[in-house]
Amino acid sequence: MKRTLLLTLALLSLSACHRIERTDTAAEGQGATTPAPVERNGGRVLRIIMWSDYIDPDVVKQFEKQENARVILDTFESNEYMLAKLQGGGASYDLATPSNYFIQVMVRAKLLQPLEAQKLSNFGNIGAGFLNPNFDPGNVYTVPYQYAATGLAYNGKRFTPSSESWKLIFGDTDTVRFSLLDDPREVIGAALKYLGYSVNSSDVAQLREARDLLRRTVSKRGFESFSGGPEVRNKLLAGTLDLGQIYVGDLLQGAAEDPNLKVYLPSEGTTISTDTLVLLRGSPNPALARKFVNFVLDGEVSAAISNYTYYGNPNTAAAPLLDPFLRSQKAFNPSQDDLKSGKVEFINELKAGNTTRLYDRIWTDLKAR
Amino acid sequence: MMRRTHPALSAWAWLVYGFLYLPILVLIIFSFNDSKFGATWAGFTTKWYGVLLAREDVREALTNTLLVALSSTLISTVLGTLVGLGLWRYSTRFRLPLTFLLVTPIVIPDVVMGVSLLMFYSLVRGGLELTGWTFENGFWTVMFAHVTFQISYVALTVRSRLAGYDRSLEEAARDLGASSVQSFLRVILPLALPGVLAGALLAFTLSLDDFVVTYFTSGSGFRTLPVLIYTSVKKGVTPDINALSTLLVLFTVIAIIAANAIMRPRPGRRGEA
Repeated sequence: MKRTLLLTLALLSLSACHRIERTDTAAEGQGATTPAPVERNGGRVLRIIMWSDYIDPDVVKQFEKQENARVILDTFESNEYMLAKLQGGGASYDLATPSNYFIQVMVRAKLLQPLEAQKLSNFGNIGAGFLNPNFDPGNVYTVPYQYAATGLAYNGKRFTPSSESWKLIFGDTDTVRFSLLDDPREVIGAALKYLGYSVNSSDVAQLREARDLLRRTVSKRGFESFSGGPEVRNKLLAGTLDLGQIYVGDLLQGAAEDPNLKVYLPSEGTTISTDTLVLLRGSPNPALARKFVNFVLDGEVSAAISNYTYYGNPNTAAAPLLDPFLRSQKAFNPSQDDLKSGKVEFINELKAGNTTRLYDRIWTDLKAR
Repeated sequence: MMRRTHPALSAWAWLVYGFLYLPILVLIIFSFNDSKFGATWAGFTTKWYGVLLAREDVREALTNTLLVALSSTLISTVLGTLVGLGLWRYSTRFRLPLTFLLVTPIVIPDVVMGVSLLMFYSLVRGGLELTGWTFENGFWTVMFAHVTFQISYVALTVRSRLAGYDRSLEEAARDLGASSVQSFLRVILPLALPGVLAGALLAFTLSLDDFVVTYFTSGSGFRTLPVLIYTSVKKGVTPDINALSTLLVLFTVIAIIAANAIMRPRPGRRGEA
């Protein structure tokens, strides 16, 4: 399924170049004098495409009222689907929320225009660990929206981990029933971290070591499956799983209802990925879009969003306003030191095509077992 | 006399039915579960149905879904029936290539279909730019996209329904003085009707649960139920979606019973002829 999609995408990008260049000249010709599209209620319209359930609906309403605008919120299920829809040119959106490793792909496809976030009055609220990221030096295109560190989750009522380490999964024990995320970068990244390497390693020897470790790991009796967040949460609740690799946000949503659910960031370090706000080329209403980004960067608004989604918050002004439950969770906010030292490390786009192939082969090899 | 079924065979049948229907049953039961993350039973509640009814996005998506399904089914049934009839009635050297074209939308992956339609609409829009007239992807683009794959299903069911009939039936009607319109309305169409209805039902269902093609052709701000549900799977499906699915299952069951009642030959009619 995904392979067909990517193939189609490749074809599409060929035809898309032509289209985008044309919209470019059109935009220059008319300049900023083009009136914003007017809709039913006479106000202006902002179109956003983002992950589902990823913003507090009250926050959206507040913005609509404040700006006398209407916000159209569409959702996507994977970065690839979003890219395909944008490249096809059937829909005009102002803002999107791609994951950090997808930014360069979108820049190369000429889908983004500079957001110039530094000019926004609330930009100063972004924490130092999230500024100037290597997927977007100088924050030209992106503003960090929410992030997800990856941790190990368990049900405290049924299982007590002997240490907060990846060892419980990658070590010699064979009794723990565990699952891994259904995502090559997360799984290979975890193995690399356990071995003391970078999650973005392109070193063949290191990757070989990680592959051997993972082969041993998935052939253990305790290995249950490759599964995503909601599934892991349900299996932990049902007690068919002891330990699961999971995005911290996915687990915390459940922990708010059942305090027995717990999650930790392994001591050897772990992976982290940010979802960003980007301004799309051909955005019908860039001024309103920038206003929205600035609105989201406001401490109170940003805190409200995290209190709704339970995902990590890069906003320093929001920190004291977060739900006490979230603040009490160590895994919710990796320390700035861990971020700077690279212990908690961003998943980046892989540089050379060769490395991508290596990751691909390791993953196929694991899934085939 | 009924023949006795071998017990192993009926046990196997029960297993197959269980495999097909147990998941749906579980879903229905869990739509009454008082827990936000439905892995464990936390007591009986009907609150999710209330939550569901209060959701404006769900109501809007439901309206969109039904509007698209009804209108695209209507168009594709008319067009598909004509294609099916034509294929049955005329034998030209284009019959084979035509059949091939009809089968293509059935076997082609949804993703390819969705993306190519998206590109097609972009091209059309590009062409229209010169005339100063333009359109946005939304209801119409989704509706026509659905028609493109529905036609094949309708045409093929109609054609296979007619396959067994002798073409001289129509000639006989003409010989007896029926005009071409009369022979079509009084002879051919009644013969094809069960096929037409079956094709229409199939087309309706296909439109109702299509995600991929709808996702790509819908532009911004136009959402159908499958798109709403599928894009929320990543974050875990909330119980109000279980409630929605339960209602849809209920709706489908009623529709099937109704269709059966309509299509069943009425006793006595056959004797009159």
